[in-house]
Amino acid sequence: MMPQNEIAPPGWVLRFLRFFLKKEYLEEIEGDMEEIFQDNIESIGARRAKRVYALDMLGLLRPVLLKHFRILPPLNQYAMFRNYFKTSFRSLGRNPLTSFINVFGLSVAIGICLVVFAVVEYDRSIDRFHVNKDDVYLVTFFGDIDGATHQYGRTPRPLGEMMKADFANVRNMCTVQDGGVVVKHGANTFHERVRYTNAQFLNMFTFPLKWGTAGSLADVNSIILSEEMAIKYFGDENPLGQDILVKFDETNSKAFMVTGVAQKFPRAHAIGFDFLINDQNMRVADSTYNASDWKAFVNATFVQVSDRAQVATIAHGMEKYKRLQNEALKDRPIARFAFVPLADLHEQSADIRDDISVDAPVTSFVALSIIGVFMLGLACFNYINIAIVSAARRLKEIGVRKVIGANRLRVVVQFLSENIVITFFAMLVGLVLGVFVFAPWFTGVTHRQVDVSLVNGNLWLFLLAVLLVTGVASGLYPAFYISRFEAATIFKGSVQFGKKNPLTKLFLSFQLVLACVFIVGAITFTQNIGYQAALSWGYNQRDALYVSVPDAAAFGKLEAKLLQDPNVLSVSASRHHLGKDMASAVAIAPGKQYEVQRLSVDASYFETMGIERVAGRVFNDHQQGDHQRIVVNQLFAKNMAVANAVGQVFEMDGARYEVIGVVKDFHADSFYEPVVPTVFTMATEDQYRYLTLRAKPGAEQETYATLKAHWTALFPETPFDGGRQEELFTWYFDSVDIQARFGRPVAGIAILLVALGLYGLVTLNVSGRTREFSIRKVLGANARNVAASVGKQYVVLTVVSLALGAPVSYVLIKALFASMYPDPMPISLSAILLAMLLLVGVLVAVVSSQVRKVLKASPVDGLKVE
Amino acid sequence: MKITKLGEFEELVLLAVAALQQEAYGVEIKRELETRLKEKLSVGSIQSALKRMEEKGFLVSEFGEATAKRGGKRKRIYATTAYAHKVLAEMRDVRAGLWDAIPRLSGEMRLDY
Repeated sequence: MMPQNEIAPPGWVLRFLRFFLKKEYLEEIEGDMEEIFQDNIESIGARRAKRVYALDMLGLLRPVLLKHFRILPPLNQYAMFRNYFKTSFRSLGRNPLTSFINVFGLSVAIGICLVVFAVVEYDRSIDRFHVNKDDVYLVTFFGDIDGATHQYGRTPRPLGEMMKADFANVRNMCTVQDGGVVVKHGANTFHERVRYTNAQFLNMFTFPLKWGTAGSLADVNSIILSEEMAIKYFGDENPLGQDILVKFDETNSKAFMVTGVAQKFPRAHAIGFDFLINDQNMRVADSTYNASDWKAFVNATFVQVSDRAQVATIAHGMEKYKRLQNEALKDRPIARFAFVPLADLHEQSADIRDDISVDAPVTSFVALSIIGVFMLGLACFNYINIAIVSAARRLKEIGVRKVIGANRLRVVVQFLSENIVITFFAMLVGLVLGVFVFAPWFTGVTHRQVDVSLVNGNLWLFLLAVLLVTGVASGLYPAFYISRFEAATIFKGSVQFGKKNPLTKLFLSFQLVLACVFIVGAITFTQNIGYQAALSWGYNQRDALYVSVPDAAAFGKLEAKLLQDPNVLSVSASRHHLGKDMASAVAIAPGKQYEVQRLSVDASYFETMGIERVAGRVFNDHQQGDHQRIVVNQLFAKNMAVANAVGQVFEMDGARYEVIGVVKDFHADSFYEPVVPTVFTMATEDQYRYLTLRAKPGAEQETYATLKAHWTALFPETPFDGGRQEELFTWYFDSVDIQARFGRPVAGIAILLVALGLYGLVTLNVSGRTREFSIRKVLGANARNVAASVGKQYVVLTVVSLALGAPVSYVLIKALFASMYPDPMPISLSAILLAMLLLVGVLVAVVSSQVRKVLKASPVDGLKVE
Repeated sequence: MKITKLGEFEELVLLAVAALQQEAYGVEIKRELETRLKEKLSVGSIQSALKRMEEKGFLVSEFGEATAKRGGKRKRIYATTAYAHKVLAEMRDVRAGLWDAIPRLSGEMRLDY
C-alpha cells in the first residue's frame, strides 16, 4: 500500500517523464525520482524539492534514456524521400511560372532578411572586440531635472580617483576628457580633438598598437596617435620618436613625442580616439584646472573591476560620492550612480545623455526588422495561395499515394519536405541576391557599410531558422489542406476546391494592406524631403557665415577687415553658436527650475542670425548691466506660465538674471530635435569664440571666399574652421533624403511580390476554368462578360482590402513619423490616394492580361482540354 | 574493447556500484558519489552512465524490492561483471604506472641541462 503522502511531485513533470522515457526504464527511474523527492522535502522543503524534481527531469532528457519517437514506420526511408524529392523537382519543372513566383518571391524576402540580419549583427558586435568588455564599466548617474529622470554619461572630476582608492574591486580606472586643439607637424596644421586620459586607457580598451607601447602614456610628454592620424601627419613612415606640436590655445602650446600608433581600429567601434595624451596636461591647457573640483565634470569615467559579481556592492558604496556631489552642485542633484558595461554601452547609448559612445539606431533596426518580416510574410502568403489553388493539379497524385497506403501524416510530410526543398533553393538564390544585390544597394543608399560575412556562425544559424520557419510556416497549411481529401472522393471527381478558399482571399487582402502601407510610407518619405526643406528654422540660415576664433583679439582683427567689405551687412561675436556649440544650464525661479539651452552672444547676434524679437528688447552694447539680463525664446516664456515674461528674475550658475526680451522660437538643432527652452546671455569679451556675419543676399559665396582670404592673411599659423550656416545641416537633409531613397525600392519590391502572387493566382484560376470560358465564348460571351466573370471575385476583395489598407497605412505611417520627428509632416491624402491608385492599377493590369489571353485563345482548343 | 572506452565519470559510477554491492541502485549510487565528490549530481547523468555501461557489458541489473517511499516502484539493483573488474584493474595499473613515471621523467629532464 502506498502511504497517503500530502506532498506529491508536480503532476505535469511526471506526465512528461512518462511521455519521453523508455518504457523499460520508467519504473526504476520514476521510483528513484520519487525517493529523492521525498528525501528533499525533508532536507530542503517542498517548494525547492519540486524545483529540483523538475530540473532533474530536464536532466533526464538524454539520448540513451529517450523513447524512440516514431512518426514514420521504421522502414528504409531513403527511397521514399528520394521519391518525394523527385516529384518535388518534377512539379517545380512542370509549373515554371508558379515555381518562379515562389522561388523568386522567397529569395527576395530572404535576401532582404539577410541584409537586415547583417546590419543588426554588425551593430551588436560594436566595441565587443575589447578583451575586457565585460569587466569595464562606464560610471553614469541619474539626474532628476525638470520633472524627468535622465541618465548621464559624464561624471564629476574627482570621482574616478576616489573610487580607485576606496574600492579594492576597482582594478583600473581611467577618465576621458576631450578637448579641441590645433595640431602642427611641419606644414600640416589642423584643428583636432585630443583625448586626455591616463595610461590605463589602453589596458582597459585593448586597441592593439602598430608601433610603440601602451604604457608610454604614463609620460606627460607622450602622445599616441590613431593610424588615421599617423598617416595624416607622417604618411606611411613610422613616426615613433618624432615631435608633434599641440596648441591648446593662442598662447599655450606644448611639444609631444609620438610614442605609439594604434593599429587601424576594427570597423565595429563606437569608442576610439585620434590623439591620446596624459590627463596631467589638462593643467597645461587650462592653468586654473582643478582635478578635485566636484562642480566640474569629465566626459567619462571608466572602471575595470576584478569581480564582475560584486559591481552591485560598489553601487551601494557610491552614496558618499552622491552626497559630496549634491553638496557641490545643489541646483542639479543626482539621484544615484549606475554602471554600464562596455559590451552594452553602444546599445544603451541612446538612453544616456552626454556619453562618449555612439547611439545605436534602435528605431531603424526595429523598422528594418519589421520590413524583413513583412517581406517574408508577403512571400509566404504567395506560396500558400498558389499551393492551395494549384492543389487541384496534385489531386490524382495524392489519391494514388493514399490508395497505395500513405496515411495523411505521410502526405503532410511529403508536402513539407517538398516545401523545405523549395525554400532551400530560394535560400541559395537569396544568399546570392543578399550578398551581391541588396547589401551593395543598402550601402550605396545609406552609406552604412554592410558585409554579409559568410564565416559568421550566427548567420548560418539565422539562415537555418529562416529555412525552417519559412518552410514550415508556408507549407503547413497547404500540406494539411491537400492531405485532407479522401482517395475515393478524389477519383469520383466530385472534389471541387481551391478556387474559392476563403483563406486565399484573406491572405491576398492582407498582402494588399501590407503593400499599401509600404507604398504610403515611400510616398510620404519622398514628400517629406520637400516638406523639411521648406520648414522654417525660426532664424535665417541663408547668407549667414561663421568662423571659430581663438579669442577677442583675433575677433577684433578679423572684424576690422570684414567691416570694410561692402558685402558684409553685420558682424557679431559669441561664445556659443546655433547648430554648432550650445551649452545647457538650469534656470531657477522661486519654487521652480527649468533645464534650458544657453547661448552667450553679443548684442548684434540676433540681427546677424535673423532671430526675430517678439517682446521687450534684445541686448544693447551701451546699456549698463545687460550682462545681468537675459533674452529668452517663446517656448521658455510660455513655460514660465506668467502673463509677461519680461521682468521675470532667474538664478543661473549662481548669478541673478532679469528677462528683458523674448525672441521667436528657432531650431538650434535639426528638425529631429524639438525646440527647447533657450536663454541668451551676453558674452563678455574674453568669452568670444565665434565670429558670425551676414552677407548681402546673393553675395554669400563671394563673402565666404573673402572671409577665408582674410583669415589666411591674418592667422597663417591657424587653420580656418568655419563655414556657411546652411552647411551645418547638410547631414540632416541627406538623412531625410536617404529615408526616401531607401523607402521607394522597398515599396517597389512589395508591389512586385504582390503583383507576382496575384498573377499566379489569377493565372491558375483562369487556366482551371478553360472549359468554362470556352463554352461561354461559344455561346457568345464578349470581352466584357469574360472580364466580369474573371474579375468579379477580385473587385470586392480589392475594395475591401483598400478600404482597410488606407486607414491602417495612415495610422502606421503617422506613428512612424511621430517617432522620428517632434513635428512630423502630416500624412497627405494624396499619398494614400496614389497608393490605392497604384494597387488598383496593378490589379487591373494583371487581370486584364489574363482576360486578353482567354479572349485570344480558340474555344476549340479550350474544349479539348482533358 | 579498448579500456579508453570507459569515461572518467563512468569509471566513478562503476566503482561506486562495485563498492555498494547489494545496495547499488540509482539513488544510493548518486548519494555515495555526491558525498565523495562533494558536488550535486543529476539523476540523468547517473542513469545515462548506468544504461550506457549496461549496454557495453560492464554492468548487469535486476529488479529489487519496492518501498513506500518510492511510490511502490521497484528498485533496480546493479552489479559489476567480471569484465568490468578486469577493465578497472587495468586502468588502475595504467594510472599507477604513469604516476610512477612522473618523478623519474622530470629527473631525467633535469640531467639534460
